[in-house]
Amino acid sequence: MSPAVSGKGPVRIFEVCCVAALLAVAVAIGLLRVPRQYRTDPPVSAALDAIRLMPSGIGGAPPEVYFALNQPYENTAYDMSQGKRLYSWFSCASCHGEGEGGAGPSFLDGWWLYGPSIVSIVASIRDGRPHGMPPFRDRMTIDEIWQLSGYVKSIGAYSAKTTAPGRNDDRQNRPAENRSPAALLFNEGPSPVHPEQGPSP
Amino acid sequence: MVTDADLDEAELERQLARTWTSKPGFWGAIASVDHKVVARRYIVTAFVFLILGGILALAMRLQLSQPEARFVDADRYNQIFTMHGSNMMFLFAVPVMEAMAVYLVPLMVGTRNIAFPRLNAFSYWLFLAGGLLLWISFALDTAPDIGWFAYVPLSGPEYGAGKRADIWAQMITFTEVSALAIAVEIVVTVFKQRAPGMSLDRIPLLVWSMLVMAFLVIMAMPAIMFASSTLIMDRLVGTHFYNPAEGGDALLWQHLFWFFGHPEVYIIFLPAVGMVSTILPTFVQRPVFGYLPLVMALIATGVLAFGLWVHHMFVVGLPRLGESFFTASSMSIAIPAGVQIFCWLATLWSGRPVFKTPLLFVIGFIITFVIGGLTGVMVASVPFDAQVHDTYFVVAHFHYVLIGGAVFPLIAAVYYWFPKMTGRMMSERLGQWAFWLIFISFHLTFFPMHILGLQGMPRRIYTYQPDLPWAGLNLFVSLSAIILSLGFLVFFIDAIRSWSFGRPAGDNPWNAPTLEWATSSPPPPYNFRSIPVVDDRNPLWSQPDALPVSSGLRTDRRELLITGVVEALPEARESSPQDSVWPFWAAIATSVMLIWSIFSPWAVVWGSIPIAIALIGWFWPKGEAEDES
Repeated sequence: MSPAVSGKGPVRIFEVCCVAALLAVAVAIGLLRVPRQYRTDPPVSAALDAIRLMPSGIGGAPPEVYFALNQPYENTAYDMSQGKRLYSWFSCASCHGEGEGGAGPSFLDGWWLYGPSIVSIVASIRDGRPHGMPPFRDRMTIDEIWQLSGYVKSIGAYSAKTTAPGRNDDRQNRPAENRSPAALLFNEGPSPVHPEQGPSP
Repeated sequence: MVTDADLDEAELERQLARTWTSKPGFWGAIASVDHKVVARRYIVTAFVFLILGGILALAMRLQLSQPEARFVDADRYNQIFTMHGSNMMFLFAVPVMEAMAVYLVPLMVGTRNIAFPRLNAFSYWLFLAGGLLLWISFALDTAPDIGWFAYVPLSGPEYGAGKRADIWAQMITFTEVSALAIAVEIVVTVFKQRAPGMSLDRIPLLVWSMLVMAFLVIMAMPAIMFASSTLIMDRLVGTHFYNPAEGGDALLWQHLFWFFGHPEVYIIFLPAVGMVSTILPTFVQRPVFGYLPLVMALIATGVLAFGLWVHHMFVVGLPRLGESFFTASSMSIAIPAGVQIFCWLATLWSGRPVFKTPLLFVIGFIITFVIGGLTGVMVASVPFDAQVHDTYFVVAHFHYVLIGGAVFPLIAAVYYWFPKMTGRMMSERLGQWAFWLIFISFHLTFFPMHILGLQGMPRRIYTYQPDLPWAGLNLFVSLSAIILSLGFLVFFIDAIRSWSFGRPAGDNPWNAPTLEWATSSPPPPYNFRSIPVVDDRNPLWSQPDALPVSSGLRTDRRELLITGVVEALPEARESSPQDSVWPFWAAIATSVMLIWSIFSPWAVVWGSIPIAIALIGWFWPKGEAEDES
């Protein structure tokens, strides 16, 4: 420091310490964050495949590893955006539309035939469901199925989350996912055939 | 009322020091609005960002030194090259050039402080916040990964997942606001605060270049402010500026970005040529050759800068007429550049060069910049550009013009003005080492990239396969980069060591002709005991013994002399603002609002309340009437 501003040494040290402390905290938090993975470890993939479903096929428990990873498929924007891309690549829209339904059930109404848990959605995509939902287990990897499930879950979410997939550069015909469209468009649907199981698709 | 006409020298200095010196202590330092204090902070911060960006460059070179390397993964590599570019352009190059202007322009035009000094302090705090935002996000593994020009749709809502692109866009907002603030200050300082007699044709060339640079900032930065704001709105509130399906236009981004981005190159380059035109005459001890053509070249470069942005977009598909027009306009920039090169050569030729470190870096600049200019003329031609677009040829080209064209003059400027800023000389021996290490290894590092580009190596790849013919040259480039970083290390060691232990410099160690050398080193808080009167372009050469001075400014409060735009005839006395902590709080409030707005649009509403409070404090009347002057 030059003589003209003598007496500022402690200030400078204080400033440097503040910046260093901020950066150290940031690095520490950064180390806790979920890294963005372009390729999942094979053992993790195998574990993600081992979901445990209730005998009715509705609900169940995700594998332990899913929690160990901090539930990335529901909580990271990257995975949800990948899911959104998979939604169009695998022509989900041909039956489900942009979430409003068609030949298949709607997601936008927030009415989940097999329950809103991500395990049910993974099982629906992986194994298929009666009345027309085909199994995708031979066409997608299990990571992709989880990514797609996370995205589908966000279409029918009742409350907005801080993470959401981005809006596509396409025509917009419904509210964006991050505005929790199901909360706006919620509809109980027709009276169910099997009340314990929801209406038949 | 006490004016400086009534006092002897010692009493005058005592009263001026009491009026102009900042309070000691932490809050005194925070509140300081002295342009020299703010500029020194700016320069040190910018050089810290240069070091950090250089470390990123080394990380990239480590990754590319061999095929299929696994030092960093693809995602981290994307973040690193984006950080490197954004950091070097927005946090180093532009701010450091503006900081040099903030330090030198008031001294060179002979005034006591920059215009709008509180805005100046505000701009530094905002710049610091923007830099911290970018670097903390990098530490958080959520740095932007979209390239430094963030093309949509890659940076748009569909492909730019997460908050990474938002952080980039908001960092732009921080740095652009601070840059615009400084630009306004420089224009006003140059036009209205020049020493009496410093008519337009007597302004030092560095001040001319800073003035042109400031106008470029004022005209170019709004384009990028609009671009980054609309990108954030697309991403956060669902507008469709860049969504073709809803009537937006993805190419609009490229036009907006490069309408700013090309003048940005000259915002960095023009101050550098101003430094060269100022340093060169001192080391040949004769006035610069061709003052008028040099000024005209600066202005011509500034005007042409806005007419050639499309050459960054030659491969997007343009009408044939557009391609021809922008090829011609891009090549025409070679005319003012050539005029300046020949003026410098003539100055060198007709003087007696003393090969001190600053002059070495200036000569290194001339050589390197001419090579970079030659490849610039090559890539200005559409058919050639279509071949090398997005290859390492372009990487080599812009490192030649940016490092050769701006960093070399900047290092020369640091060696040249370091005695003025600190009162101490830098080491000539270490300076020679730094020059030869940096100059040689720079060419060893970046020249092979031309060849890599011609061999087809694309930029921004995180690795390449062993059967491609790039491995040998890449290893060579990486090894040279280590030598280059050693050169910079020598430079930084020299600067840090000389700051405390350098040889005392005296007022004018180089026998330089411009006004900043008329005051002590480092200058006192009031810059000049009396405002000098100028009747020549090189006042310290034409009046080597004592400068004529003007008098009549009050000493019991901060007062400046306001002069006319053209002839610099005295017009008025004007008060200059006191120190204030409110610019600091205003910058904190603005930073909170801008960062919060990444997460919620309501931040703009609620975040503006603290800003309003800070601005009320900032502009609170002081209870004394404005001077009648």
